[in-house]
Amino acid sequence: MPDSGASACPAVEFHDVTVAYGRRPVLWNIDLVIEAPGLFGILGPNGAGKSTLLKAALGLVPLVGGRVALFGRPLAEVRSRIGYVPQRETVDWDFPVNVMDVVLMGTYARLGWWRRPGAAERERARAALDRVGLADLAGRQIGRLSGGQQQRVFLARALAQDAELYFLDEPLAGVDVRSQERIFRVLDDLRREGRLVVVVHHDLRTAADWFDGVALVDMRLVAAGPTAAVLTPENLRRTYAGHIDVLDELGRAVERGGRTA
Amino acid sequence: MNSLAAIPYNTLVVAAAVAVVGFASGVVGCFGVLRRRALAGDAAAHATLAGVVAAFVVTGRRDLPTLLAGAFVAAVASLGCLVLIRRFTRTRDDAATALVLSVSFGIGIVLLSGLSARGISGAGGLEQFLLGHTAALTATDAITLAVVSAMVVLVVWAGLKEATLVSFDPAFAAATGWPVAVIDYALVALGAAMVGVGLPAAGAVLVTALVVIPPVAARQWTDRVPTMLILAGVIGLVAAVGGVAASAAVPRLATGPTIVLVAAGLFAVSFFCAPERGWFARRRGA
Repeated sequence: MPDSGASACPAVEFHDVTVAYGRRPVLWNIDLVIEAPGLFGILGPNGAGKSTLLKAALGLVPLVGGRVALFGRPLAEVRSRIGYVPQRETVDWDFPVNVMDVVLMGTYARLGWWRRPGAAERERARAALDRVGLADLAGRQIGRLSGGQQQRVFLARALAQDAELYFLDEPLAGVDVRSQERIFRVLDDLRREGRLVVVVHHDLRTAADWFDGVALVDMRLVAAGPTAAVLTPENLRRTYAGHIDVLDELGRAVERGGRTA
Repeated sequence: MNSLAAIPYNTLVVAAAVAVVGFASGVVGCFGVLRRRALAGDAAAHATLAGVVAAFVVTGRRDLPTLLAGAFVAAVASLGCLVLIRRFTRTRDDAATALVLSVSFGIGIVLLSGLSARGISGAGGLEQFLLGHTAALTATDAITLAVVSAMVVLVVWAGLKEATLVSFDPAFAAATGWPVAVIDYALVALGAAMVGVGLPAAGAVLVTALVVIPPVAARQWTDRVPTMLILAGVIGLVAAVGGVAASAAVPRLATGPTIVLVAAGLFAVSFFCAPERGWFARRRGA
């Protein structure tokens, strides 16, 4: 159980973070603090820079300005406490590895250079697979899984990292209902164990049910805080202005947000 | 080479050494193929000819280590050009690769014909690097090639976990603290080294085939990286030995084309007959 919350430093802090791809700015002056434990959603329209925000926290994109602190420290000092689930489309699923191989990758950082995973690592990977309900598919090539199962393999790999802080990039995109429920049960368990789970999410309808806190992002931070307080009609309009296609979803989200509040 | 009895010995040593080279090419090629870099590798291979000739012109020596060092430098330089073109121009990937391939190969051919036109002594034999000619190798040279190949295989095997992680999911590797760029460059350097070492056997034009065909054939039979490496190694070995045997039997036959044909035959068998991924199996499954 992570006890370092006692250090009183927030798990995630963005201070005036600006990110650009080439000359095109993607995120402007983001100031955001997220406290552990909890389940925290990052919401916003397509191209709003949600994934980039995660990548900025993980050091995967260079910052033009500002800084990120995790547990009050620079990323390099706390990497072993951080788990990551990238977007599913970022890898080649025809790659010659099976489910167990991929989950074991979650143990590599702790093994360090040259050492191969042994019995202890296999045990940890198996436990992680069990948690996401894929124990009997350990030997299967990853291309022969459904989208939801592939996403659960990625989640199991992150669980094998045994981190205190998890970043998940669209873990529910293109996922069947069964996998969706399983994934959320696991994320909920992580929160109960005192960890912080930060999720980039695209579906406003489910956001109000699942997240303790959310941030609305549209290149800039529109609003952040407890879910019910943030998902107001005014905030949503400011985030999704110009995105006519989501107006319908908006209505339902507001309705739900109001109800949970 | 002054007694008849020395000839079979030399052939035998060369065959054994080229077998090791073939094995190593297959192994190293796997990560090139998995990273989708086969074409970039082909450009680097074609560039090696210019490196070989330039090494001779600059140093005036034509011993194998010198020439292959030139080949390695040229391979790395061509890949460097590729990276620069991608970063600083809007040229598309395939066009950039074709550009580097044709230009670097053109330079090699111009240098080579320039040398022969002036009748520079010692330049003869360099054209063997075009299509490969193992019969011209001495036992010492062959052993050098085998030793370098064996070292390359050992390095790949030692870093198998890291290479697999970076090839499969570079973003996750970077997020968990692995120096992705360093591992990536190491893999590229190993590939360039193997292209150089394979040069005397397969030649600049066809050496990529030795690095690309075996992994593609091996992938048909297995869903695991370690097995794929071993199978690709074995396929590369069989192809290389086949090429050497044919070249030993037919005096003026270049080894490169024969190696490619044997490898292509093994690929065809893999393509049609492999369980699950093979053509017949898929027809039956469909």
